[in-house]
Amino acid sequence: MKVFIDPPNSLILFDLVERSGHEPLSSMAAIQEKIDKTEIDMPPMNVTLEDVMKGLKYAGIEVPSGIRGRLAVWGPMIEEAEAAVIMEDCPYSFGCVGCHRTNLMVRYLLKRRKIPILDVNYPNDEEEAKDLVVRMREFLGGLK
Amino acid sequence: MSSERETRLIVISPASDITPDQVTRTIHTMGKSVTVKEACYGAVLEGPRDTVLWVVSEIRKLDPNGIFTKVRAYQAGDPRRCRAHHGTRPGFAQLEQEWNDLWKIQYGLNCADRGDKASERKVREKLPVDIFKKICEVK
Repeated sequence: MKVFIDPPNSLILFDLVERSGHEPLSSMAAIQEKIDKTEIDMPPMNVTLEDVMKGLKYAGIEVPSGIRGRLAVWGPMIEEAEAAVIMEDCPYSFGCVGCHRTNLMVRYLLKRRKIPILDVNYPNDEEEAKDLVVRMREFLGGLK
Repeated sequence: MSSERETRLIVISPASDITPDQVTRTIHTMGKSVTVKEACYGAVLEGPRDTVLWVVSEIRKLDPNGIFTKVRAYQAGDPRRCRAHHGTRPGFAQLEQEWNDLWKIQYGLNCADRGDKASERKVREKLPVDIFKKICEVK
């Protein structure tokens, strides 16, 4: 199954989802698709007008461009997702730094999809890490 | 995801006995058509998707709970990201943060393999209004 991870660039979540035999939907794979295109529309990152329009599907024109830009990449993945794992209470430097509004918007879009979602806490010590891993294994093992 | 090329970051947990050099040499001895670059956190692996996935599954056998991987969007040595070409490294802060936490995840994986159960999840409660007022009030 396709599992959306939040933060979408997390190594820990990507690895744990992949270990369970599911396909993690990450921002790295989405960006790779963009930069691997043989036709370079807008170097260096290939961000085109089409991406701007994609972002507008998820957030209005009055919303800051950073949020729309992120949602242009993450929004299609959220639509594609069949399940999601969300990590909460992360430190400031964890995940997509500096845009909490995007994170809130991503959570709202995920909850609106009514797919199975697992909320886990950021592990501050070994015991919390154990809880995170066990909970993720149970959740991902139950997905069919 | 592109089926042509796959670039992977292989990150070794700080609690693991495996070294980046060991990972790189083991991949070299496999004799597969992949490019591997040793890094401070582990290695960068690049090649055709199927081969890379096979190499990752083999390299995990060195330390199943101590080796972690994730996809990297940019190719190894991409001038937009490679430090040798003065590229920016916006993902490095995240990688460093997660590398610091990998020993905890390794411990969690070991516990999960033993069959340990999770304890009840702590959910952060909302701040009561009277405490919030005390914080706001200037004495």
